[in-house]
Amino acid sequence: MNVQSFLRTIDGISTWVGKAAAWLIIGLMTLVCVEVFKRYILNAPTAWIFDADNMMYGTLFMLCGAYTLAQNAHVRGDFLYSSMRPRMQAGLDIALYAIFFVPGIAALIYAGYDYAAISWRIAEHSNVTANGPPVYQFKMVIPIAGALVMLQGIAEMVRCVVCLRTGEWPSRLHDVAEIDVVEEQLADSEYVDEESRKIAIARAHEIDETARQRGMGGELNT
Amino acid sequence: MSDPALGLTMLMLIVVVIMMGFPTAFTLMGLGIFFGYIAFHDPTHISFADNRVFDLMVQRTYGAMTNDVLISIPLFVLMGYVMERGALVDKMFYSIQLAFRRVPASLAVATLIVCTFWGIASGLVGAVVVLMGVIAFNPMLRAGYDVKLASGVITAGGTLGILIPPSVMIIVYAAVAGQSVVKLYAAAMFPGFFLALLYLVYIVGWAMINPKIAPPLPEEQTRVPVPAWVRKFQAAYSPNMLVALTQALLSPSKAQEIEAEGRRLGYWMLIKQLCIALVPFVLIAGTLALAWWYVVIHQQAAPDAAVSGVQQLGTPGLGSGPATPAERGPPEGFYFWLGLCALAGALMVVRYYRRMDADRFEVLKLLTSSVMPLGILTVVVLAVILFGITTATESAGVGAAGAFLLAMQARTLDWKRTKEAVFLTAKTTAMVCWLFVGSALFSGVFAILGGQSLVEHWVLSLNMTPVQFMILSQAIIFILGWPLEWTEIIVIFVPIFLPLLKHFNIDPILWGTLVFVNLQAAFLSPPVAMSAFYLKGVSPPHVTLNQIFSGMMPYMLVIIVCMVIMYIWPGMTLWLPNYLYGG
Repeated sequence: MNVQSFLRTIDGISTWVGKAAAWLIIGLMTLVCVEVFKRYILNAPTAWIFDADNMMYGTLFMLCGAYTLAQNAHVRGDFLYSSMRPRMQAGLDIALYAIFFVPGIAALIYAGYDYAAISWRIAEHSNVTANGPPVYQFKMVIPIAGALVMLQGIAEMVRCVVCLRTGEWPSRLHDVAEIDVVEEQLADSEYVDEESRKIAIARAHEIDETARQRGMGGELNT
Repeated sequence: MSDPALGLTMLMLIVVVIMMGFPTAFTLMGLGIFFGYIAFHDPTHISFADNRVFDLMVQRTYGAMTNDVLISIPLFVLMGYVMERGALVDKMFYSIQLAFRRVPASLAVATLIVCTFWGIASGLVGAVVVLMGVIAFNPMLRAGYDVKLASGVITAGGTLGILIPPSVMIIVYAAVAGQSVVKLYAAAMFPGFFLALLYLVYIVGWAMINPKIAPPLPEEQTRVPVPAWVRKFQAAYSPNMLVALTQALLSPSKAQEIEAEGRRLGYWMLIKQLCIALVPFVLIAGTLALAWWYVVIHQQAAPDAAVSGVQQLGTPGLGSGPATPAERGPPEGFYFWLGLCALAGALMVVRYYRRMDADRFEVLKLLTSSVMPLGILTVVVLAVILFGITTATESAGVGAAGAFLLAMQARTLDWKRTKEAVFLTAKTTAMVCWLFVGSALFSGVFAILGGQSLVEHWVLSLNMTPVQFMILSQAIIFILGWPLEWTEIIVIFVPIFLPLLKHFNIDPILWGTLVFVNLQAAFLSPPVAMSAFYLKGVSPPHVTLNQIFSGMMPYMLVIIVCMVIMYIWPGMTLWLPNYLYGG
């Protein structure tokens, strides 16, 4: 298996799990709405709703950790970083992955596994309400999410190695970005002239990147 | 090395490593584990894995997973992403600009209003600056506006989004500071809109003093597109549209002669038009009714709702909130003020309808279709949170569902956009919450090592007055705002200041609100302001970065003025939370 397909596979796993977990937000929204209706209109609140909400939200963000890492969307102080050359970035990254990321996430997996195993053994139920729903499956999310993030972290380190050797970052899977809204808003706008629309849509990603570097990449500093 | 010294090393290291550009969440976890391992190290334990730092880590993680404040983040974020895909900004801009066509610097005013609205909907700085750069910047330059004025209003307006509720920053601060989300929302309400108002005053004032910087638009750009059938309709009945529509409903024979949009005018069409014409009246009456309902009926339904009689500040009738201090039940002056507001509202409505010609009617139609759905949804979400009818989470859930409904009604939402909104929500939530997990571990270890108390002793030994401390803390946060994002500042650095607030008798809600406003200034300060670079990306080549920066400077001054006002009259910030939830 060559490096590129190795990276694609791991990115694919993280993204698939992340995107699947992302749909929990629709479930959470529906659950909250139904509960609002039941509580405020029918005057019949549900006891386990607090736990159910938490489980959806907690599972959502934990399982999306690896997906976010695969998309390089975890917040980073990119003030200096983005103006460095790719080799320099990769060198720094791989060192910091080894020093901070691996021990941190390994500890999370280890501690999370213990935590979940104890909970599983005693068949723990939530103590928010009397006779609450089981929570051991929810606690299992911690080691699973940790393992996924670790897997993705390994892929990121491989990326760094590739970059160190070739001087260029390997590509990532294409995914929606925040700046895409520019295209959506302008695509069918009626009051903006054709030309500036096209330019803005074509350059949106480039503009985003340059702005994040705050002009350190040269070019814009006029 | 002693423990507190380790703590300080930890703080130093975190700053260094963040600057090196490693994902902050994992830096925090790694540092937390290392220093925690040393802090908890017990030589009597033989096994390597037998260290309580692991317990701390998993407890903190589980704590973030079951945090009942953070849970509203994905819901509000989803609402924002759906709204920004559902509401058409250029249509909004066009209709608002037509509505304000007689105001000086009308394009700049419209830009600011759209930015404020957008700020309510979502909190993205980059996207809004790029969008407004395309939609508003070029028209402003073409109309001969001063480059500084045009660039300043877009960059300053674009950053408003992170301040105006419902903003994710406020939720994160609430989770960090252990404050109530609704109180913080109520507190950020006035400063957010007050800042927008100050910007507005500044633009209009400057344009009035020096009309050259914002020449009025040429006639053909301000002409309202009135469809032919409206003209015929006016000729058939009356030049006043309200009168004409009412008459047409009573005697529809003449109206049925007129063709509109390929069909003859029917009853249904006429009723729809009349409903649109009545929107301003309904909005004003609804606001007053809501105020009356909240103060009179709602308070009686919940007599225990503690409300203290704080002295009234601000303009009565401003916004949708009730404007008089409420003791239990309807307070003394309430009916007087309500009557006054009703009278003023009635006068305005009568004046508006007397002069309702075809132009005004068309502008109203445009506004109703572009701005009103978004406006009503946000006002309802905020009102529901602020009046304590539901919790923040529940309002966020209902708000997100409402955003979906609106976008579907506007036919702007398809499967692809829904997917995008969901995936973006997942990424943003994961980013914020993983950062929270990391920082929860980090701050726990920092406190155990005694770094926190060392900082406290040091600051207290400086014998500062509260004002000095306030200025120092805000200055530090301002400087941190240059290289860092708000997430890192709120999650890592704000917790260091929080325990000190009690020593200086500073209200954490007031302090937090000042931080939010302060970060606005930090994000506008050259040469690190990202919004300037976003704007530069879409502007024509002759606009230089220096022009954009110098356009932003006055707005920084406005923000500092706003902060000074907020500090001198804390009542402006604290009145609404105190009124709604008691002291």
